[in-house]
Amino acid sequence: MIRTAPEETAGLKQGEGFLSLRGLTRRYGDFVAVDDFNLDVPKGELVAFLGPSGCGKTTSLRMIAGLAPSTSGHIVVNGRDITGVPPYQRDMGLVFQSYALFPHMDIAKNVAFGLEMRKVPKAEAAERVREAIAMVRLTGKEHHRPAQLSGGQQQRVALARALVVRPSILLLDEPLSNLDAKLRDEMRNEIRDIQKRLGITAVFVTHDQMEALTICDKVVVMNHGKLEQMGTPHEIYEHPKTAFVAGFVGRINRLAGKASGGVAEVAGLKVAAPGFNGPVEVMVRPHRVSLSTDGVQADGERHALPGTVTRATFAGDILEYEVEAGGTIMKTEAATRGGEAVLAPGTPVTLSWRPQDTYVYAAS
Amino acid sequence: MTAIDLPVAGKRPMSPTAVVMLLLLPIAVINAIGFLWPVVNLLRMSFRDSEASGALLETSGLTTWINVLSDSFTLDLITGSIGVSLFITVLTLVCSYPIALYLHRCSGLWRTVLLVLVIAPLLTSAVVRTYGWIAILSDQGLIANALLALGITPPRLMFNLTGVIIGLTEILMPYMILALLSGFGRLDPRFEEAALTLGATPWKTFWRVVVPLTAPGMALGCLLCFVLAISSFVTPKLLGGGRVFLLATEIYDQAIVTLNWPMAAALSIIILVLFGFALALYTRALRRIA
Amino acid sequence: MKTTVQISAAVLALGLMTQAAAAETNLTVMGYSGLFQERYTKAVLEPFMKAHPDIKVTFFPLPSAAAMLGNLRAQKAAPQVDVVMMDISVSKAGTDEGLFTKIDETNVPNSKDLYPAARVEGVAGVGVTFDNLVLLYNTDQVKEAPKSWMDMAEKTYDRKVVIPGVPDIQGLSLVLILNKANGGTDYLKDVSKGIDAMIKIAPNVQTWDPKPEVYAPIVTGQASIGAGWNARAQVNSITSNGKLKATIPAEGTVFQINAISLVANAPNAEAAKVFANYALSPEAQKSFTETMFYAPTNSKAQISDEALARTAVKFMDKAIPVDWIALAKVRDAIGEQWRRRVVPASR
Repeated sequence: MIRTAPEETAGLKQGEGFLSLRGLTRRYGDFVAVDDFNLDVPKGELVAFLGPSGCGKTTSLRMIAGLAPSTSGHIVVNGRDITGVPPYQRDMGLVFQSYALFPHMDIAKNVAFGLEMRKVPKAEAAERVREAIAMVRLTGKEHHRPAQLSGGQQQRVALARALVVRPSILLLDEPLSNLDAKLRDEMRNEIRDIQKRLGITAVFVTHDQMEALTICDKVVVMNHGKLEQMGTPHEIYEHPKTAFVAGFVGRINRLAGKASGGVAEVAGLKVAAPGFNGPVEVMVRPHRVSLSTDGVQADGERHALPGTVTRATFAGDILEYEVEAGGTIMKTEAATRGGEAVLAPGTPVTLSWRPQDTYVYAAS
Repeated sequence: MTAIDLPVAGKRPMSPTAVVMLLLLPIAVINAIGFLWPVVNLLRMSFRDSEASGALLETSGLTTWINVLSDSFTLDLITGSIGVSLFITVLTLVCSYPIALYLHRCSGLWRTVLLVLVIAPLLTSAVVRTYGWIAILSDQGLIANALLALGITPPRLMFNLTGVIIGLTEILMPYMILALLSGFGRLDPRFEEAALTLGATPWKTFWRVVVPLTAPGMALGCLLCFVLAISSFVTPKLLGGGRVFLLATEIYDQAIVTLNWPMAAALSIIILVLFGFALALYTRALRRIA
Repeated sequence: MKTTVQISAAVLALGLMTQAAAAETNLTVMGYSGLFQERYTKAVLEPFMKAHPDIKVTFFPLPSAAAMLGNLRAQKAAPQVDVVMMDISVSKAGTDEGLFTKIDETNVPNSKDLYPAARVEGVAGVGVTFDNLVLLYNTDQVKEAPKSWMDMAEKTYDRKVVIPGVPDIQGLSLVLILNKANGGTDYLKDVSKGIDAMIKIAPNVQTWDPKPEVYAPIVTGQASIGAGWNARAQVNSITSNGKLKATIPAEGTVFQINAISLVANAPNAEAAKVFANYALSPEAQKSFTETMFYAPTNSKAQISDEALARTAVKFMDKAIPVDWIALAKVRDAIGEQWRRRVVPASR
């Protein structure tokens, strides 16, 4: 069975959003940074905007926050059109990549800033600041300056500052990219926990597909200002709608072929390609490809392709091979089990994978 | 092994302190010759006795200092000079701040062009620029003619304190703008955006975030402009019309016209002391800000 | 052998060159920069060097007498300047500090022919030029020559009067003239009558500090009337084709003296005397008067009628005698009255 991109993405239906974008567009002269962006985010969900740099994800976030003007389209929050509303009346919490903590204020004053602007009574504000600082586990650091804290601590202050005002929407702009790998995992879970606990609707901008897949309820993949696909992490990974999504989210092997009459011919294989005619790209993820030395034949269960090992990489928990097959270099990877032999370059092998792991796209 | 530790031809490596001292030596010597020595001379001159003719005597005494510190005119001169200089400093700050902020936010070619425009006045001397102001402010000048055309009798715009303030403010603006720009390093637009998203109006954002973050630049600019204003001589001389009495112009009159060098020296020392106060105030302000 | 001859020839040549250099004395004369330097070089220095080919004169220009005094003070131990020409009151300070050698008939013979006013008690130098305060006016704006200094107080001249104020000696001179005219007797004791008169003029004053000098704003018409020195006024009158004119009003005038002094321990003391003698000679005095219209200090100088008309020589009776040396003692007090009473009246 062949899985091409499903027609309808589950979960996100028109009119269901707490945050809705309607035809949101941003042009700089001839350049279209964000093109006709439509989105509905249900209350309490965490949505990731995922894409390479320059794809329009940060511009979209800034338009939602009111920090960048939109050329056309509408932003609706809880049924209220806030398109022309200035940022200070939008009631959103924004966490910056650079944290943007006020360097001339201590931690408590940073966190209290939003409450002060909202003229929250002093006693209540103090209590809420205390709670917010406790929530991000920084009690005792109230009177430190931002520069005295580590990157992770600063990020937590930024989160507390954004959340203490109880915003209707939390916006996070690449909040983890300035942290080291270990801290990143920790902070990711912490942000997710807090978001779930508060039940706050949130938008998380990132260029890191791992981050997007692991943290979010929904992922919106963007490229060149356009929405490529939106769906749950599982949908995005297992059913990439476009060649771009398949290539950007997770690793992929690409084979060039030609389709006619619902079947694509690729390196001697016949792959089902309903609805395709002309040049196509056939893709399969490296870890879905098995490698064997005992000459498996293609049958109805698996596609098989003969090849020769050109490089073997032992990476501890996985074993990677690069195999010359079908006129290109195919990659495979498998978890190590211990004791298996590493094949030497030049070893003839057969690659095989299940038809349902095969994606077919029209060649661009 | 660092470069300093490398043994050179059997010599023992110099300690870092010694290297620092050696590198500081040239500027220390230049400072001693170019600043300390003249100041010492000035101080000695202020104690020299002199005759009414202006002739300096070989004897020394406190006469000049007693005259300076007991004469109500000198005291008026000091307070007046401080007042005028402070006023000019504040006016310069107010006029320069928006320009510096705009420049800080510009980028690329446009910023370069504007920066050149700001610095360009520094390439011409204060004398030339002051004469430019004379052309604008005089009774037959641009402003007076424009006012006359509107049927308004023009007020005196120069040869008085007004002219001095206008002229000095413009002349000091490039210094203020450059000082402000140098202190705007901390002003990342993200801070302002953070404040806006936290509910601060642009006005509140300016006062609570932009102003505190640019305070070091303002302090530096104000120090620089105050010192330059209180020691400025050409502009008050040319635009003051003999009606404005400031320390610097009085020093000129005492040294060049009245030939009372001890008095000129004493007044110069007073300006130097005022510089010292300004610097101390600046250091304290900076510590408070940081 | 050959080498020795060559060396001897070289030594000989060197010796001759040194002799030639020694024959030319390099005399340094210090004086006012600008117009004074330009005219003095033409009228006096060039003819002098023609007459004395062995003396080369370098003019060392400075903008003010005080700057000259400052230079002489700094060089006291090893003077670089031989002769100096500066205002007599500053030259008094230099005399008191022992910077000058006294000029008399023995070392500078021409000094015997000087007018008595050119010799001032207690000053080592002698007068080389006389100048006097004149009323300046712009001929486009003032059709008839004003008769009185007090014309400057007339309403028509509102913001059109320029006077270099006290402590400049032009303003000081005007106070002295007006003091006498209003019945003041001893200016060393009291100038309040002069100050009172100045207060009447003050509201009309555009500036007390005309720059670069008082003449330019009157020539351009930026101001109509003012007070300044005669010699420069005459030169400006000629160069401006009569836009500026100068007159001595009924109340009279005051003379200013520039003295020529020999610097003590000067490197070229003998040549300095020769030059000073020439500067005071009838021919040099005539030449400079006819070029810049300072009145001559040498009574024997035969000045052309045309030039004489531009000097104050014919108005000696209108001159109010001023003892500049004694005045120095009360200058501060006059300055204080000026600041307290005259300047506020001009605001």
